[in-house]
Amino acid sequence: MSHAASDVVLTDAMLVSAIRSGDERGMAQLYDRYSGIVYSVALRVLGDTGAAEDILQEVFMQLWRNPDVFDASRGSLAGWLAVIARNRAIDSLRKRRPEDDIADVIVGIEPDMVRSVDWNRSLEKIRGVLGSMPPPQRSALEMSFFEGLTHSEIAEKTGEPLGTIKTRIRAGLLTLRKAFNR
Amino acid sequence: MNAHEQFAEDLALYALGAIEGEERLAVEKHLDECSACRTELEQLRGDAALLAFSAGGPRPPSRSRERLMAAIAKEPRRVPVRPVKRAWWRAFEWAAAVATVVVVLLLVRQNSDLQRRLAGLQSNSADQLQQLLQAKQIIATLTAADAERYVLVAGKTPPQPQGRAIYVASSGTLVFLASNMPQLPPQKAYELWLIPANGAPIPAGVFRPNAQGSAAVIKPPLRPGVEAKTFAITVEPAAGSSAPTSQPVMVGTRG
Repeated sequence: MSHAASDVVLTDAMLVSAIRSGDERGMAQLYDRYSGIVYSVALRVLGDTGAAEDILQEVFMQLWRNPDVFDASRGSLAGWLAVIARNRAIDSLRKRRPEDDIADVIVGIEPDMVRSVDWNRSLEKIRGVLGSMPPPQRSALEMSFFEGLTHSEIAEKTGEPLGTIKTRIRAGLLTLRKAFNR
Repeated sequence: MNAHEQFAEDLALYALGAIEGEERLAVEKHLDECSACRTELEQLRGDAALLAFSAGGPRPPSRSRERLMAAIAKEPRRVPVRPVKRAWWRAFEWAAAVATVVVVLLLVRQNSDLQRRLAGLQSNSADQLQQLLQAKQIIATLTAADAERYVLVAGKTPPQPQGRAIYVASSGTLVFLASNMPQLPPQKAYELWLIPANGAPIPAGVFRPNAQGSAAVIKPPLRPGVEAKTFAITVEPAAGSSAPTSQPVMVGTRG
């Protein structure tokens, strides 16, 4: 995945503000900046390019229709879009109605991490942390996040105790957090 | 780190949507009451976002961008988007608007009254200023060193020493003008006396005539309410006396 770090001129908050005033160019810039992240997550979850494109369209249209759902003071737009895209893709995968209100989804993550030229380095670091995790922990984490399985389903699928799955998932998330000193 | 360890693992599952049923409801109930756990949930979602970034893969096809921009062009945003407010709040807004109008009207009216009063005061002030200027001009005329005085007499009668006192007892105001007064030695002066109906003479001013024999005493310090029987003039030491030390050279008659 490439990241449009070189053409970043306006901050995310400024672009969201432009969208709020109905500026289509602001929307185009945000799309160029983050469509790769949104599409990648949706494709990873759904495994189908057409379905991933639908999620991509849906997520950005939601932002266009109601930019106020994103609170720039409480997290990064990239993190928010990634989590919203994942949640919508899981909803689509499980053929269920969206479970959460996107306005309630607040993602605590530093904006600079994904906007800076260090994006590729950050991506390598994330993959490195995941690669160094105990395989059962990484597997539990990815089954939960990318496949949308509940802890009960993961326990059933792996034959591991429920408590073990809970512990692995939390420990996996905290390992990622610690790697970025968050 | 989450302060509520009993919810720590369930909170991580909740951030991923990997918890259901009663356990999910219990987490949501706790989140309603616990701001620390709400903050921790935001952090856990941030951790999950890192996981999302790891997805990798191809960029979306260019048709996706065209599709999005075409959809946006067909769906112009209505700006600004304002949430629907509750009825009571709207009622409050109306009440506030009405109250504001009433207050503004009252202020306008009060301002108008104040303007009228101010105009009245300014008018009074202007009148008083005009009167004061006239009084000053009169006093300046009466007391000017270069004032020329003319005594008009009938026939060929030679000018005689003359004094004229105008007195208002209620305010204790006195204006005295003299003409053709004989000159006095430097150590002497004329002193005017108010002779009351009862009691001793009251000093009413010390004066020396100018080269033409004219003099004026304007509003000497007299107590209001003293009825005068007449006025008299004596020759006194230059500094004046508290009681006459000589016989009057002039005595008034009311006329």
